Amino acid sequence: MRSDPPVHLHPHPAPAQLGERQADVVVVGAGHAGVEAALAAARLSAHVVLVTPRLDRIGEMSCNPAIGGLGKGQLAREVDALGGVMGEATDATGIQFRMLNTRKGYAVRAPRAQVDRHLYREEVTQRVQNAAGVELVGAAADDLLVEEGRVVGVRLDDGRELRAPAVVLTTGTFLQAIMHTGEEQAAGGRIGEGAFGGISRSLDRLGLAIGRLKTGTPPRLARDSVDWDALEEQRGDAVPQPFAFASEEPGATFPTLEQIACHVTRTDERAHAIIRDNVHRAPMYAGRIQGVGPRYCPSVEDKVMRFPEREGHQIYLEPEGLETDVVYVNGLSTSLPGEVQEAFVRTVPGLARARFLRHGYAVEYDFVQPRELDPTLAVQKVAGLFLAGQINGTSGYEEAAAQGLMAGANAALWSSGRAPFVLGRHEAYTGVLVDDLVVSQPTEPYRMFSSRAEYRLLLRQDNADSRLTPRAAEVGLADDRALARLRVREELKDRALQVLRTVRAPSGRTLLELLRRPEESLAGFERSFEEVAALELPPGVRTGVEAEVKYAGYVERQVRDVERLRRQETTEIPTELDLGGLVGLSREAREKLVELRPRTLGAASRIAGINPPDVALLAVHVERARRRG
Amino acid sequence: MGAATEGRTIAALSSPPGPGDRAVIRLSGPEAFGIVRTALVSETAARWPAGRGLLRGFFGDGHGEQPVMVLVMPGPRSFTREDVVELHLPGAPPLAQRALSRVLELGAVPAGPGEFTRRAFQSGRIDLTRAEAVLEMVSAGSEAERRAAAELQSGGLATRVDAARELLEELAALCEASLDFDESDTGHVPAAELLERFTQAGARVAEALSWEERRAPARGLPRVVLCGAPNAGKSSLLNALAGAAHALVTPAAGTTRDGVEVELALAGSRCVLLDAPGLDPRASGVDRSAQERARELREAAHLFLWVVDAARPDVEVAADEVLDLPASVPILLVWTKGDRDDARPGPPRELVGHARASVGVSALTGAGLDELRRAVSRLLSEDAGERGSAARELAARHARALRDAALELERARVALGEEAPLDLVAEALRSATRELDRIRGETTPEDVLDRVFARFCIGK
Repeated sequence: MRSDPPVHLHPHPAPAQLGERQADVVVVGAGHAGVEAALAAARLSAHVVLVTPRLDRIGEMSCNPAIGGLGKGQLAREVDALGGVMGEATDATGIQFRMLNTRKGYAVRAPRAQVDRHLYREEVTQRVQNAAGVELVGAAADDLLVEEGRVVGVRLDDGRELRAPAVVLTTGTFLQAIMHTGEEQAAGGRIGEGAFGGISRSLDRLGLAIGRLKTGTPPRLARDSVDWDALEEQRGDAVPQPFAFASEEPGATFPTLEQIACHVTRTDERAHAIIRDNVHRAPMYAGRIQGVGPRYCPSVEDKVMRFPEREGHQIYLEPEGLETDVVYVNGLSTSLPGEVQEAFVRTVPGLARARFLRHGYAVEYDFVQPRELDPTLAVQKVAGLFLAGQINGTSGYEEAAAQGLMAGANAALWSSGRAPFVLGRHEAYTGVLVDDLVVSQPTEPYRMFSSRAEYRLLLRQDNADSRLTPRAAEVGLADDRALARLRVREELKDRALQVLRTVRAPSGRTLLELLRRPEESLAGFERSFEEVAALELPPGVRTGVEAEVKYAGYVERQVRDVERLRRQETTEIPTELDLGGLVGLSREAREKLVELRPRTLGAASRIAGINPPDVALLAVHVERARRRG
Repeated sequence: MGAATEGRTIAALSSPPGPGDRAVIRLSGPEAFGIVRTALVSETAARWPAGRGLLRGFFGDGHGEQPVMVLVMPGPRSFTREDVVELHLPGAPPLAQRALSRVLELGAVPAGPGEFTRRAFQSGRIDLTRAEAVLEMVSAGSEAERRAAAELQSGGLATRVDAARELLEELAALCEASLDFDESDTGHVPAAELLERFTQAGARVAEALSWEERRAPARGLPRVVLCGAPNAGKSSLLNALAGAAHALVTPAAGTTRDGVEVELALAGSRCVLLDAPGLDPRASGVDRSAQERARELREAAHLFLWVVDAARPDVEVAADEVLDLPASVPILLVWTKGDRDDARPGPPRELVGHARASVGVSALTGAGLDELRRAVSRLLSEDAGERGSAARELAARHARALRDAALELERARVALGEEAPLDLVAEALRSATRELDRIRGETTPEDVLDRVFARFCIGK
C-alpha cells in the first residue's frame, strides 16, 4: 500500500550559514544508530563526519550477540528495505537463523539471528570505512556548538571544533553513565569504557528535559566451562532465511558462516533462594540506581522477586561467535555482586563448573525526554540537532538502527534544504516507533512490539521491501539495484498468483482458493503441482505470496481502516494553536497537550490521559483554526 | 458551530415553548452568576449562596418583578463544568421572554442548538452515549421514548459496553502476550481457554445489544394509538384508514392476540396505527396480560386517536379514560359514526377540552377521513418536528456497532476453532474493540459531532 505521509514542514529556522564547514552532518557515536545515521546521510550526498572515541568499536554489540526477534525483526527488515546496513551485516555474520512465530501468523512472524559479535563489528566497520562521503574522527564530542538557537557543530575533547549545520547525537548509554555490580560502581557506559558528561551538560544548558534510565547485561561464561552434553540443544531453521532482501537474490551466498546451535537450561529454586537472600545487594533494590529498569527485559532478580510462583526461568546459552570462547547467558541479566552471581549461576544445570569471563552489570544513563523531538527526530528547541537511539529512551539495536537511519536521513535533507522524510504508522514499524516516541514519557526503555502497530497485518516482514523501498528510492536512500530487485520480486509474486489462479486441484478448485485454508501451503503445492514447483520461488517470496493470499480479506479491511482513520491521523494540530487555552478540556488533558505537543490528532489520541471527548474537542478547535485560516 | 459563543456565557429558555407550569431559563459560563445577580432585586441578590444552592426571591426583568426560584451550580460541579444558573419563573411565555431578554441585555449570548450539552461533552463531563441521550430526551415524543432516553442517560449502555470491553481487553492481552513474547515467558494459553473467554465476551456484547434493543423504540415510525370504549368504532376506523388502497403502505397488517397494527402514510406522514384492546374500567375478568399490553401501547404512543361514538357518547366514561393517558402526548378526538341518524352533531365541550383537536368522521361513508388524515399528519409534525428520528438513528447506530462487534467476535471464535493463526484472531478482536469504542465516542470525527449536536433543541 502506498500513501503519502503526513507533511510536516520543519518548524525550525533554516540551517546556519557557516563561513567554513567541515561537514554537512556530524554524527556523534558509532553504535547501531550512529552507523545507520552516517550511512543514510552519506547516501543522500551529505558530507558526513562520524565522531567516536573508539574507532575499534564501530557497530559494537554491547549486549546480546543477536539481531531481530519479535517486533524487532520487522524493524531490521525495514532498515534493510530503507537501504540500511543492519540486514546485510547480519546475513554476513550470522551463525544461527530462526524465523520466530511461524505458527502464530504472517503478521507477527519475525526473523532472529545469532551473530558472531566480532565479525559483525568488523563487517560494519568496513562498510563505514568504505562508504563514500563518511569521514571517521577518533575523538569524544565534549560540547555542542550552538549559535542563536542553531547548531553549528561540536567541540571535541581534544579542543578541535567541527563545524556543521546538522548534528546527530547517538550517544547510547554513555551520558553520565554509571555501571553497577553489587555495591561496586564504576563510571562508564560499557565495560572497559568511560562515561561522557560534556554532551549531557550541553543538553541541559539548552533546556532539554533529561531523564535517567537503567539497563542491564548478563554474565559471560567461558565456553569450555559449560557442560554442554547435559543441555537441550536449540538449532536454527533447517532453511535459514536472511534479513537482507539482497541476500535472497539468485546467486547470493547465504548463509556465509558455519551455523551453530544454542543451548537451553533453566534456573530452579536453588538459584532463586540465593537471589532472594541477596536481593538487598542488587543496586535496584538497594536504591542506588535512580533510573527505572526495563519491564520487557528484566533482571533475573526482578523476575524472581516479581514472579515468586514461577519455578524456573529459561536461560539460553549463546556463543558470541565461531572462534571466541565467550558464551552469552541470555535471560540472566543481573547487577548482583560478583560472588553472588557465581553462586547462583553454578546451581543451574550444566553450569556447575561455570567460569566467569565477565560479571553481569547494570548501567544507568541520561536520556533526553523524546517529547523534545519532532517526527524527523529533530530537537524542537534547537535547529539542526537530531537524536537517535538510546539517548531517546529506547532499547535495542533494531530500534536504534531504525531511528538512526531516519535521523541521519532527515539531518541530511534538512541541511540541504530538502523536504523531510517521515513514515506513517500505517507504513512501517519505523513510523510507529517514531510516532510513539515523540509523545511518550518513557519510564523504562521503549521496546518495539508487534502489538504497538495497529496495522500490523500490512506491516509484515515479508513485504518490507514493497512498502518501503519505493519510498526510500524517492528521497534517494535506496538505489537502482534495490528497486530492480524489488521489481523482480514483484513480478515473481504476480506470476505465482497467476499460476495459483489458473491451476486447479483434482477437486476442481483453483489453488488460490485452496491456499486460503489454514492448513494449505505453497511448499505443499510445490510437491504436488509441477507448475508451482517450476516457479522456483525463494522462501521469502513464497512467504509473501502465502501471506497475501491467506490474509487478503483482512488486509483489505485494514487498508480501509487506514483510509478511514487517515483524516484524523494526519490532521495536524497547528503549532500556533494555544493548547493551554482551550476551554472545556480536562485539566489533565490540557497539561498533557501542552507538555507533549502532539503534531496530529492521531498522536494526541494516543496520549495516556487524553480521553475521547478531549480529542473530539481538539478536533473542533483544529477545524475552527483551519477555517479561520 | 459555537465559535461565536466560545468562552462566553450562554443563555436559553430550556423549558418547552408554550404555556406550562413554569418557565426555565438556563445560563452557563463565566458571567452567569454576575448577570443573574445584577438582574435580581437587591434583597434577593444579597442572599446569593456561597456554593451550590437554591434561592427564592424576585427577578427584575426591566418591566417589573417576577417571583423566581434560582438554582445556583458553580463549576466544575455542574453539568457543563462551568458556572450554571437556572431561573425558574412563572409559566407565562411573555414573562419568560422578558426575563430572557434581560439576561441577554446584561451580556449573555443566546445558546446555539445543543450547546449546553456540547459544552458538557467537550468538558469531559459526559461521554458520547450520554450526550446522545440528551438528544433523545429532547426529541422524545412518547413516554416510552422519554424513559428510554433516561435509561441511556443513566449510563446503562455505557456500563454494558464497558463491561464487554473489559473482557475484550483481557482477551487481547492474552493474545498479544502470546504474539509478542516467547512462550517460555508467558506460558502457553490453551485455545480452549481463549474460546471460553470469547464466548463470555460475546455474551456481554449480546447483552448490551439486547439491552439497547429493549431500550430503544422497536419501530422507528411514530405510533398513533386508537383508544376509546370497546364499541366506539375503533376497528371500523382502522379498517377505513388502512383499507383505502392509496393509504396502505405495506401489507404488514396482522392480527395478534394483543391488537392490530398497520403501517400507513396519512397525508404524507408515515406512521404506525395501532388498535389497542380497550380499557373498560367497568369490565370484569379482563385478561391481565392484555391489560398490561394495552398500557405499554399507550406509553409508546406519540399521538392518541380518542374514538368516541357520536351516537352514544358516554361522556363520563370517556373523560375517565382520557385521564389515564400520558399527559404529554397529544390527543385527537375522533367523533365517529357521524353517518347515523342519532349521532350528536359535535362532541361536548368537556371532551373537546382534553384534546388538541377534534374531527368528525364516518367510517361507513368515508366522510371526514381526509380531514382526519390531515389532522394526524399535522399533529405528528407539529408536535415533534423530526421527533424520534434522532433517537432512532442513535439506537440504530448503537445496534449496528454492537452487531458488528458481535460479528467480529464470532469471526475470531471461528478462526480460533479452525486453528487459524493467532494474529488473525487478534485482528478480529481489535476490530470488535474498535466497534465498541465507536459507541463510546472514541473515533467520532468532528462532522458527526456537529450533526449530533446540531439536533439538540436550544437549552438542553
